[in-house]
Amino acid sequence: MAKDPRVCRLEELDGPKSKQELDEMKMPYEDYCRAAFAPGGEFSRPLSLKGIRWLSTTMYIFTPHSVSNLAELGAEVIKVEMPRMGDPMRHCAPFNETYLYPLHDTRPMTGTGMGYLNANPNEYHISMDYHLDEMKEAFYRLVKMSDGLTECYRPGTFDRWKQSYRYLIEMNPRFIYVWGGGFGYGPKVFGGSYDILGQAHAGLASVTGMHEFMGGHCTKHSNWCIDWYSGTQITFGILAAIHWRRKTGLGTMIEFSQVQAATRCLGYAAPLYGRFGIVRQRWGNWDTQLCVHGIILAGKSDYPDAINPQDRLDARYVMVSAFNDPDFKELCEVIKKPDLYSRYQKHKDRVEGEAQVEIYAALEEWAKDKSRADVVRILQGAGLLAEPVMNDREVYECDHYRLRGTIRWQDDPIFGDVLAMGSYGAGLMSKTPRRLYWIWRPVGADNVKIYHELLGYPTAKIEEWYSKAMI
Amino acid sequence: MCDIIWCKKMVDGKPCNTVNYLDPYCFWNWKGKVNCAECGTVYYIHMIQGHMYIGPEERPGEKPDTSPLYADKPLDGYSNYSPGVEGRTRPFECLPRHIYLGVPDMRKFSIRGRPLRGWRPQPPDGGIAGSYKFNWDLKRLSPEVWEEYQRMLRDGEVKDW
Amino acid sequence: MAERKEIEITCRADTLDLMHPDIRPWPVTPPPPREEVDKVYARRKATDFGNWCEDNLRYELAFGKPEALQGMKFLCVGMWRMGNMFCGSLLCEAGAEVIKIEPPGGDPLRQLTPFGREEYMLESKVTGEKCGLDFLHEMRGQKSVTLNLETEEGRDIFRTMCSQVDGVIDEMPAGYMDGLGIGYRHISKLYPGLVWCNIAVRGTWGPYKDKTSKFGQWTLEPFGGCANAFIHNTGFPQDQLPRGRGGDPTRSGVWFADYVAGEQAANTLLAAIYWRDELGGTGQFCEVTGAESQMDILDFDISWYGFNASIKARTGAWDPNLNQYEWNPCRDGYMMIGGQTDRLWYRIGMCIERDFPQFGRLIHEDPILKEMGARNALEMLTKTYTLTTRWLRDINRIEAEQKLLEYEIAAGPVLFIDEVSEFPHFKYRPWVCTIDTDHYGTLLFSVPPNNYQMRTPHRVKVLGRPLGYDTYEVMMKYAGIGQTRVNELKEKGVI
Repeated sequence: MAKDPRVCRLEELDGPKSKQELDEMKMPYEDYCRAAFAPGGEFSRPLSLKGIRWLSTTMYIFTPHSVSNLAELGAEVIKVEMPRMGDPMRHCAPFNETYLYPLHDTRPMTGTGMGYLNANPNEYHISMDYHLDEMKEAFYRLVKMSDGLTECYRPGTFDRWKQSYRYLIEMNPRFIYVWGGGFGYGPKVFGGSYDILGQAHAGLASVTGMHEFMGGHCTKHSNWCIDWYSGTQITFGILAAIHWRRKTGLGTMIEFSQVQAATRCLGYAAPLYGRFGIVRQRWGNWDTQLCVHGIILAGKSDYPDAINPQDRLDARYVMVSAFNDPDFKELCEVIKKPDLYSRYQKHKDRVEGEAQVEIYAALEEWAKDKSRADVVRILQGAGLLAEPVMNDREVYECDHYRLRGTIRWQDDPIFGDVLAMGSYGAGLMSKTPRRLYWIWRPVGADNVKIYHELLGYPTAKIEEWYSKAMI
Repeated sequence: MCDIIWCKKMVDGKPCNTVNYLDPYCFWNWKGKVNCAECGTVYYIHMIQGHMYIGPEERPGEKPDTSPLYADKPLDGYSNYSPGVEGRTRPFECLPRHIYLGVPDMRKFSIRGRPLRGWRPQPPDGGIAGSYKFNWDLKRLSPEVWEEYQRMLRDGEVKDW
Repeated sequence: MAERKEIEITCRADTLDLMHPDIRPWPVTPPPPREEVDKVYARRKATDFGNWCEDNLRYELAFGKPEALQGMKFLCVGMWRMGNMFCGSLLCEAGAEVIKIEPPGGDPLRQLTPFGREEYMLESKVTGEKCGLDFLHEMRGQKSVTLNLETEEGRDIFRTMCSQVDGVIDEMPAGYMDGLGIGYRHISKLYPGLVWCNIAVRGTWGPYKDKTSKFGQWTLEPFGGCANAFIHNTGFPQDQLPRGRGGDPTRSGVWFADYVAGEQAANTLLAAIYWRDELGGTGQFCEVTGAESQMDILDFDISWYGFNASIKARTGAWDPNLNQYEWNPCRDGYMMIGGQTDRLWYRIGMCIERDFPQFGRLIHEDPILKEMGARNALEMLTKTYTLTTRWLRDINRIEAEQKLLEYEIAAGPVLFIDEVSEFPHFKYRPWVCTIDTDHYGTLLFSVPPNNYQMRTPHRVKVLGRPLGYDTYEVMMKYAGIGQTRVNELKEKGVI
């Protein structure tokens, strides 16, 4: 029988199939994103890396962060620390002022410094002295039951302790083993490494800071950004290895140098030197490839009466970006220097070194009698891109991050009311969002959970180990 | 002496013996007059690439252009002058707060007024082999802080942000 | 064979070819031989281990080993910024296929060059087209296709291409793709398995999302660093250098937040694909921003504000959390020294006092400096670093490094790119390396740190790609459009 054309099912038509879908397609992009990412509603959605278990036999920031990325994505992570002492990073706090307690019940006057934050979230913390032969079996049990580990010891150390990759591959061929450190195989293999070494040794310091003729010096990025950024790059290597393992069932060993990661992000410096012998230098707050695209100093701070010196003295900097021709033209009109535009109409002309010196001097001359807020208001009013350089307080108070859920207060199970500034911010995911359970745990907090509940050791044995400071 | 000025000026029959530290970035290429933090003697120096090209030369009666950031006295157990002592050391203003402690800040509450485990000593709460649970029983462990928190709630001192 | 030439130099352009890698190859001096390195392993009784590492991890063995992400495919749309480039190149290094879709005029990033100097741009031997080095260096295997998404036909082709890939990297301005009807919510209806990742500076949504100027200019890095306090707390304090002449908040020399966002985007994509393929999930919508991903790695700064209302301040080349952990000026540059624990602290002292006995006396006698935490006080940093610089001003970086390494202190000179390229360890286990490209000749590039793996090392096989070079191949394979139609569409400005 021929199909009656008057009969029509909604499901067979193109377009939305329900009012909800219709709304979803029609709502403004802003609302769509907010609904899709639903900040605050992460815990009713699954975990990306459910089922992965990783061991973090790491210290400081670099290697722990390679694993903490996994923990934020839902992997189960076991952090292994030295008994009673813990990760050395626990003893690091800005100006010695910020600690949370307890680190361990036997050391009531020692806390864990804020330096330890963000590197080991969501992880179960156990203590183990794996120098000791008696702990080898427990270590191997962990390896057999996990997907991988990350370690940061001097090359050869784990090998001496019979826990390097060539030993572990025998007991778990699916195991992914990661070593993170300064240098890797080669003449400087045993060189110790820090974030600051990465910045200095790899060339990043040489291109950051005010230019010499401006009176400047090579400047350190205040944050341990190379530690963190290379840790994330290890995570990329780990995730790629996990994907390959799905096809082949085989683990692998990854040797990752953080100093090298700093050279990786230098942009045109390597090819410029390689082809032309030109060595890239620092260029302060301006840009070597775009003009105008830099940070200028305004005459007055926005908070002259503030009690905190960072607000009172330093809220004076504006990022101005007007490198396209019409934007630059408008900028010159606003600062009442139309001759600047007529001389530097072409971007190629105004991005040259001497031109930039002249143009930014004119900008700062114009801004000399204005506050930061004045400068931003006037430039934005003219339709240009200009934003203040914000400090921590202004970031905290910024609605944008609160709405997006990337800054939020965390009810930590052990330590109470802590402000979370990471984990969620690493990236929003609509179906399997990242999330934070806790910032860290006291040393050995999960000894029973792991040794007894996971590895099957009787509690009497655990108590014995503990009394001998083996765990 | 370069990068430090070890002041040996005789004051009341004894040498001053104060080490004035000329911090590296500020003074690396610098010329002008610096005072001794202890006795106030003004010295002219001309530093090039960290080397004292000229000086320290006494300039009696003249005013200093700047002061050292820190100074101490090795011969009397290292008594010292921190930054920002009027007339002695220059101020250091690029600080995170108007108060500088240099020692752990005993916090019981976060900036929004909720309990934070930032003070020591904490009453022990661990189990076997240092195990910890997943909650902080503030009421049982630190009742005085719990009481304080209840008062703050009553008085509206606890905020969302 | 060395040849003697007379050259007259009257301008910069005259110097440019003198350093060409065919004339002055890299490395200038050869790396240390294996025998010398074996001695290093032997000194620490790690010969077996050293051999194992060299046998399994060497750079030279990487080519030919399998690729971890072989078979994965991505589309990439983005302009001006490094985020999509870095995400794409990480994926290509790991063996995935990434198709970069550019407008017919090309990604404007291709035109950027230091100080606008065209002589620093490289010309393709095949197409004659010039390209800036930043773009070239981060084009590590991405295929280049031109497509005009502002046309309906262009969008149709895009939709078709989405059916062939695992994921889409989107670094267009806020709401751009969505406004054209080819955003995630549209494409996911067609292909629910697709993973989509936005990369933005501050965000594509929210009160402080990325803006476009009245004249159409985009928000680029370092606006991200301005919005998360990264820039505010970097640089020299006005108490060390005068404000306006060095004592100011300072941006990074590279578009750092772009790199951080790019790598987190790559991780996000892989995690999402893992959930989809291994755990029975579907595609999803993701967003990574430079401001937030860099805030995620901003140590503890914002949380410190929540602790006791502290606002992190600049500390120049020093660190407020550790002593020693800094670089200071030395005779020929800057020298970095690191060592926080007691053991290292005293070893630094022992090393320096061999040349400068005052150091040992003034530092080790001082009762305040005996406690590790107390050394972080500002006064103590001032004292320590003043005396350290007193030692450093008399020696070169290489001398300082040798002396400090004798005491096993992590020390390193601040190196410039030419020095990095010739550092012995960095030649032996290449940090930078040359690649012989078909379009641009021999190029020096930064080697991926993930290149040292036993089974699936990441690697660079291609550097740079002229605009639209792969259009014909990709249009056929991904959209079933043959060359005749491609030519027609080019005429119409769709491709």
